[in-house]
Amino acid sequence: MASDLTKNKGLKRRKFLKYTGVGVGLMIGGVWLGRNPIRRKIFELAETMIAPYQGDVSDPLIWIQVTPENQIILHSSKVEMGQGSFTGLAQLAAEELEVDVEKIKVVHAETASGNIDGMGTGGSMSVATLWKPLREMAATMRLMLAKKAAEKLEVSIDDLAFANGVFSAKNRGITYGEIVDGVTDWEIPETPVLKKRSRFKHIGKPIVRVDLYDKVIGAPIFGIDASYSDMLFASVVRSRLVDATMSNYDTSVAENMPGVIKIVKEDDFISVIAKTQVEADNARHKITFDYTTNRSWNIADVEKEITVGNGRKTIIQKEGKSIEEIDEDGDIISLEFRSPIGAHAQMEPNGAVANYKDGKVEIKISTQVPKVTRDEVASALGLSKEDVNIVPTFLGGGFGRRLHTPNAIQAAKMSKAVGKPVKSFFDRKQEFQNDTFRPPTHHVMKAKISKDKKILGIEHQFASGDTLFNSALDPGVEQMMRADIGSIRGGAIIYDLLPHRTTYYHVDLPFATSFWRSLGLLANAFAIESFMDEIAINTNQDPIQLRLNSISNDNPYGERARKVIQACADKAKYTDQISNGKAMGFASTVDGGSPCAHVVEVSIEDDEIKVHKVTVAFDCGIAVNPDQVRAQIEGCVCMGISASMFEKMDLRDNKLYPINYGAYKMALMRHTPREIDIVLLEGADYPGPVGEPPMGPIGAAIGNAVRRLTGKRLTTLPLSLG
Amino acid sequence: MKISFIINGSTKSVEVSDGNAPLLWSIRDGLDLKGTKFGCGKAACGACTIHVDDMAVRSCSYPVKMAEGKKITTIEGLSQEGNLHPVQQAWKEEVVPQCGYCQPGFMMATAAMLKEIPNPTDQDIDDNIINVCRCATYYRMRKAIHRAAAINSKNL
Amino acid sequence: MKSINVLYVIIFLAIGILSVSFATQGNSYYALGSLSSDGSSESFDKMMSVLMHKRCVNCHPAGDIPLQGEDSHLHNFNISRGKDDHGLSGYQCGTCHQKENNNYSGVPGAPEWALAPLEMAWEGKTRVEIATQMMDPTRNGNRSHDEILKHLTEHKLVLWAWDPGVDAEGTPREKPPVPKMEYIAAVKQWIADGAIIPEN
Repeated sequence: MASDLTKNKGLKRRKFLKYTGVGVGLMIGGVWLGRNPIRRKIFELAETMIAPYQGDVSDPLIWIQVTPENQIILHSSKVEMGQGSFTGLAQLAAEELEVDVEKIKVVHAETASGNIDGMGTGGSMSVATLWKPLREMAATMRLMLAKKAAEKLEVSIDDLAFANGVFSAKNRGITYGEIVDGVTDWEIPETPVLKKRSRFKHIGKPIVRVDLYDKVIGAPIFGIDASYSDMLFASVVRSRLVDATMSNYDTSVAENMPGVIKIVKEDDFISVIAKTQVEADNARHKITFDYTTNRSWNIADVEKEITVGNGRKTIIQKEGKSIEEIDEDGDIISLEFRSPIGAHAQMEPNGAVANYKDGKVEIKISTQVPKVTRDEVASALGLSKEDVNIVPTFLGGGFGRRLHTPNAIQAAKMSKAVGKPVKSFFDRKQEFQNDTFRPPTHHVMKAKISKDKKILGIEHQFASGDTLFNSALDPGVEQMMRADIGSIRGGAIIYDLLPHRTTYYHVDLPFATSFWRSLGLLANAFAIESFMDEIAINTNQDPIQLRLNSISNDNPYGERARKVIQACADKAKYTDQISNGKAMGFASTVDGGSPCAHVVEVSIEDDEIKVHKVTVAFDCGIAVNPDQVRAQIEGCVCMGISASMFEKMDLRDNKLYPINYGAYKMALMRHTPREIDIVLLEGADYPGPVGEPPMGPIGAAIGNAVRRLTGKRLTTLPLSLG
Repeated sequence: MKISFIINGSTKSVEVSDGNAPLLWSIRDGLDLKGTKFGCGKAACGACTIHVDDMAVRSCSYPVKMAEGKKITTIEGLSQEGNLHPVQQAWKEEVVPQCGYCQPGFMMATAAMLKEIPNPTDQDIDDNIINVCRCATYYRMRKAIHRAAAINSKNL
Repeated sequence: MKSINVLYVIIFLAIGILSVSFATQGNSYYALGSLSSDGSSESFDKMMSVLMHKRCVNCHPAGDIPLQGEDSHLHNFNISRGKDDHGLSGYQCGTCHQKENNNYSGVPGAPEWALAPLEMAWEGKTRVEIATQMMDPTRNGNRSHDEILKHLTEHKLVLWAWDPGVDAEGTPREKPPVPKMEYIAAVKQWIADGAIIPEN
């Protein structure tokens, strides 16, 4: 088995990864796994994998509903959080159903429907993992419709003609709606052959978002908009301090506040239930309690913990010696980088609306993981999974924040306690205080350069906190891999023609850290790509050529990466020269198998870095919806500018700051580049990840431009000249 | 206490136990107009932007008692007789929203700005539109604001 | 109109003297209108300790962006004064700041919430510079002493400094170093004494 894993590339990936998501610990657990080369191979896979979809794709009927009114409803197990996958999935379905995308209404599948995705929505995987299964289901559904049409028209299926959504024979036509009318019994046939790419009518077209109109009129589609009749409002006490426990609650004042119905005291939380949100929050503010802290924490303590050399060590890549072991003569260059604690700051706060009744509970919620939410609620309330129904809503931003949904458990418990539906949401202060942050990182980059400017080796050592560890999605990865495959994302060096080595140190922190759009990529790429630029300067090379010359064809994404790098440099007319006070910076990454490169143009105005233009080349394979791929790139660029230039959390006396927008500096309209020029390449015949990979290069690209403009190497995020 | 005002053309009343409570919650939960969003609760993000007597106001920081007798417009009232407002039309044509949560607030702020600055420059937009969008759709918003101005001038 | 102003002055001077008397009871070393050799007076000292406090200076910034908070940082979001010192058209001061403090949001408010015009900037200036500029009709909006007195002692926006509310964490904002009535009395005293500005 071990040898299969290392040899048989084609088969292995799908087979192996199918087991990765669930129960992988059980399957592969064993002595051989402790061997580092295998672990490193897994890391390599984790960097580029597209995990298969983890749910039922054998039954088209739980995905595609045709109503007698001739409406096609696509029940999506993937949630829509802005990334546009509802539209992409509708395009996939429309292609094989042979209908226009506008004919398809996309809704979130409730868990009770049986259409449950084991992985959840994240990792930029929705369209990528459903690329084939959804088209297969749509094609199968259409074949089922054709068979029923033939029965109803009393002809052979081969005699059916089809045009404009109508099957016809003998001068009689029948719509999909007419076909399904009265049919209760469907036979699922063998999957038909899918259309060739050359015949695609919807895939690859810039079709407008299926949720566009609702979002332009302000329709009540989000979790926070959900309600039940006779619903009450809750406000939960949450800790202001990290590494602290709360005790000695005094609720006597709160109990007598206007509108208060009940104070709920559970083992793990305390809350107020009232007639309105305002009354619930007002009363919650009157609950007093004591804190007991384990120790005092300030940001300097966190940085001390997050330091290379501290924590649990894992070697991620070992394609060369560590820099100190290299015998050849040369100079060692070294730089240290840091990235801060990052907040999600998604616009819709976390919360849930629960309706517990007669031993069953239904929960309307913005969640990225309906299955995990269901299973956790069932477990916490001692219910069977069948008695919990999660009704996912549109998400007011996800970014990884909604991969943890303990709020659903709380809402369910409160609904049970009060005997009525309960709506429970965080306020914004709680969002900032109780976020599951992007972990801070520390990186030591080293390279050895010979006298004749040959690169003898490059090494990346870094320290970070939890990303995947301690999450409900962690299928025993910690015990098995020792390294957090979320934190190491983007941490491996893709320049395989250079001797290279990567070492990771995992550190435990006193506050929750977890998934944040692109996970480790943002920080890791900042360190590696800044350092590559420094190597280029040090070896008198063009930074584009250095990268092109350092990626081989053995790398499965090598050729595509080189094309992206070249395309970006060409489109931007990249130059090392400063012109009109502006300099360019270049960086490139391969994330999830989707290569991306950025050239940014910056100047310094009033002692501030100003980003004028960003040129992006990106290869996600087939762009199912090129307009939405562009939208994701634009969003990644601007959110990446925000994270790289402005955002950071502080920790003082166990309190996290800031606790609201404004004080938590973010890029706004005025920081948005006046021009974002995008080149899309399609270097694969399948769609790869889109929503996160373009976050990779931006921080380093800006830093590299500043380096060329000022001579100063910026090594800390958020980037600051001061 | 009972507060009455004209919202989206209709006279409505809400009952509140505290007149200082934010107007936002009366609009969302009292009148079930959910297009106005809660984002920050301290007038920092703009997701709750509405118009009070034609001026952009952040309703999370606006005491409901001050709404007495005022004319209020929310995103639901921005369109007239089923026709999208030019700002909404432009947002649609530029395919601006991603998650969509902050967009009503941005459209309300933009509508207020365009009344004062019918043809804003990029600089005007940078200066005047200070709401927060976490999907960072600013790039398309800027295009949409220019387009809305163009639609407005065509309609004149 | 003018006679009404005079009446106001008389009334407020009367109240001022009364309240000063009240405020100074048991304060034996306090002498009304006492001037030291350089022209400074206790009334001037008191007044200026208020006017140089962040509750005042935050809205008399030297640039186009208001100052904010106990550390007088530039107002979040680069809020700008606009052409009439009430903000820009997309947002005005009144978009967020209402006629009174909002303890739900922690957003402060008072009637006529706005910035002082740029020519009346105080940020970064000495107390003598501020006082000189404040009393100079070419730089104070052509205000007479009476009108200045009115702004300093009656304008609700100015007196908000003693009722500054709480911030978003519920923490009370810092008030100026002199109690309100004592400050009002000091301003009146200083103007009654001829608004003498010391050398430093």
